Amino acid sequence: MQEAGLISDYLESIADALSFDRSLSRRVRQEVEDHLREAAAADPIGDRLEAERRAIASFGASHAIAAQFAIVSLAKHTRRVGAAAIVVIAAVFAAMKARVAWYTATQWAMSDDVRAVSAIVGSIDRYAFWLAVLLAIGSWAYITGRHIPAVFNPRYRQQLRRSFLLCAAAGGLLVVSVISDGALTAFRLSGAEVCAGFIVPLVSMTIEIVCAGVLVFQIRAMLRRATSTAALLKT
Amino acid sequence: MEGEMLKGHLDMIVLAALSAGPAHGYAVIDQIRRKSGRAFDLPEGTIYPALHRLEQAGLLASRWMRAESGRRRRVYALTRRGERALAERRAVWRQFSDAIGGLLEGTRPCKKPA
Repeated sequence: MQEAGLISDYLESIADALSFDRSLSRRVRQEVEDHLREAAAADPIGDRLEAERRAIASFGASHAIAAQFAIVSLAKHTRRVGAAAIVVIAAVFAAMKARVAWYTATQWAMSDDVRAVSAIVGSIDRYAFWLAVLLAIGSWAYITGRHIPAVFNPRYRQQLRRSFLLCAAAGGLLVVSVISDGALTAFRLSGAEVCAGFIVPLVSMTIEIVCAGVLVFQIRAMLRRATSTAALLKT
Repeated sequence: MEGEMLKGHLDMIVLAALSAGPAHGYAVIDQIRRKSGRAFDLPEGTIYPALHRLEQAGLLASRWMRAESGRRRRVYALTRRGERALAERRAVWRQFSDAIGGLLEGTRPCKKPA
C-alpha cells in the first residue's frame, strides 16, 4: 500500500459511513485529514508510513468515530425536523386561511348536495390539523429541552425515538388534514364553471400539498439517518 | 484514567482546553495531552464529535481557516455561553473535588458546597 493510501483509505471509510449526510461527511473528512496529516508530520519516528499508521491508530476505529458523529448529526436533524414541522404547519394554516378568506370575499357558496359530507370532512380536517399542531410543538419542545450526552445512552436513544414518533404522528395528521382540505376544495369547486377564481383555491391547495410533502420528506430523511446511525452503532 | 470516567467529563475538558484561545482539533488534543500530563487516554478521534456536539449546543463556534500547509482547517472558539458553561462546570468540579478530597484524606472540605 502506498503512503498516501493509508490516510486516504481511512478517510474514505469515515466518509462512506457518514454518506447519509453529505455536508457532515465532507466536513469530517477535511477535519480528520488535517488532523491525521499533522499528527503524522509531528511524529518523530521518521518513517512516514509508520507515522501515518500510528496517527490512524491513535485516532481510533473509523466506524466507532463515525458512529459518534452520526449521533450528533441525528440529534441535530431531529431538532431541525421538529422546528420544520412547526413552520410547515404554519404555512399550511396560512394557505388554508387565505382560501377560506377568498371564499368569503367572493361569496363562493358550497352546493347543498355536499354540505352534509363536507361538515364531516371539515371536522376531520380541524381535529387532524390542531392535533398535528400540538404534536409538532410537543416534539420540538421535547427534544430541544434535552441535552445531547457525551456518551450515547439508551435514555437518549429513547428520547430521540419519542421525538421522532411525535413528529411522524404530526406529519401523518397533517397529511390527513391536507387530504381533507383537498376534498373540501373539490366539493367547493365541483359544479362551478371553470374561471379565473379557481386560481386561489388551486394555488393554496398546491402550497398545502408541497408543505406536507416537504415534512414527509424530512421525516423520511430522519428515519434513514436513524437507521444508518443504528447500523453504525452495531458495528 | 478510566475511559468511562473521562467521557463523563469530556465536555468540560474540551471547553477548558479552548479557554486559552481558538484552536483546531489537533491543537485541542495536544493541549489536553500536555496540560493533563498525558493522563487522559482517549482515542483522539473522540474529541471531534465532542467539538461538533458542543458547537451544536452553542458553547463553541467554528470557522474554516487555511493552515500554513495549505490545508483547510476548522478552528473552534468558546462562545460567551461556552465561557459561562465552563465557569459553572469549573465551580461544580472544585466543590466536588474538595468534597471527595476531604472524604479520601479524612479532612474537611475547604469550602462548604452551596
